[in-house]
Amino acid sequence: MSLERKDDHDHKGWMQERDLTPVETTYLTVLMWLDKRLRVVDYLEILEDLYYKVNMQMPKSHTEQYNLDNKFWYWYPLYALGSFSTIAYVVAAISGALLGFYYSPATTGDPTTAYNSITFIMTELRFGFFLRSLHRWSAQVMVAAVFLHMLRVYFTGAYKEPRELNWIIGIVLISLTMVFGYTGYLLPWDQLAFWAGQIGVEMSLSVPVAGEWVAQLLFGGFSLSQSTLQRMYILHVFFLPFITTAIIAIHIGIVWMQGIAEPH
Amino acid sequence: MTDDEPTASADAETGGRDVEVPMDVYKAVTVFSTLFAVLCVVVGFVVLDAATQRATAAPEDVNVVLAVVGLGAIALGAGVYAFSTRFRAREMGNSKDDAT
Repeated sequence: MSLERKDDHDHKGWMQERDLTPVETTYLTVLMWLDKRLRVVDYLEILEDLYYKVNMQMPKSHTEQYNLDNKFWYWYPLYALGSFSTIAYVVAAISGALLGFYYSPATTGDPTTAYNSITFIMTELRFGFFLRSLHRWSAQVMVAAVFLHMLRVYFTGAYKEPRELNWIIGIVLISLTMVFGYTGYLLPWDQLAFWAGQIGVEMSLSVPVAGEWVAQLLFGGFSLSQSTLQRMYILHVFFLPFITTAIIAIHIGIVWMQGIAEPH
Repeated sequence: MTDDEPTASADAETGGRDVEVPMDVYKAVTVFSTLFAVLCVVVGFVVLDAATQRATAAPEDVNVVLAVVGLGAIALGAGVYAFSTRFRAREMGNSKDDAT
């Protein structure tokens, strides 16, 4: 779009033809003078143009083409689940960053430093109970929302061409979400966490050929120790956040470019 | 407005005046008059707030001059907005004209 003004009329002459009062003439002259200098209208038109370009969608939606709205309207609330997951993720990220000020991943002492820091957050820290609950519940909500989002995508056929790639990315994301959940589950280092960790080690060891290597890599050994908790912590607060955030951005970016899928 | 003839520039009976202007002038009128109106009203309320100390001042403590200026700015904003509604672009008759 060009900023050059289209010359579709006589700039000076038209005012004389109209039967304008002096106030109207002055008013219009002032506004035209301002517009010529500030170009606000032109900039707004650029924004309008941008708005339509940015929101470009598939040519004609399936529901429109075959008039399916009467059959599919009850799916539409479930189209909010993706946003719901994202919101839960953001809430968990913020509350998790705040929890990070008070948590320390150390297995020293009895009970351990890690467990003690959880106790401190839950019993002494101001709003600590609230903060940890917020983090835990947003994590639960995210797992549930991501799973239901996947069901919605599956049952409305939204994974079909041209959206296969985003479906695969979604599979990666739901896996990352569960790894997020697992690593976070181990951090309190209580009985629940410890034996969940034990199960994790044994599951890794049961993998053919690569099992021992996987256990070493993820859990820092074949039995639970300081290195296990340390690795879970770094995975939870450093490794996964970067990767997951980046992939979520790509996932949403592709949805943005392709438009919302219509039911098939 | 209640003009019976869309091309008329004035309607003496109802007082509603209708001025047809070129499209880009109409856009300038819409944008700038809205801008002025919003600005006047907001500034008016801010000034009125200052004059009455956020409506907490006792009646004798109210700064009358400032209050009048504030009310005046609000009225001016409304006036500019109302005044600008008389301008319209070609083929932008009101729906009542289209119906008849």
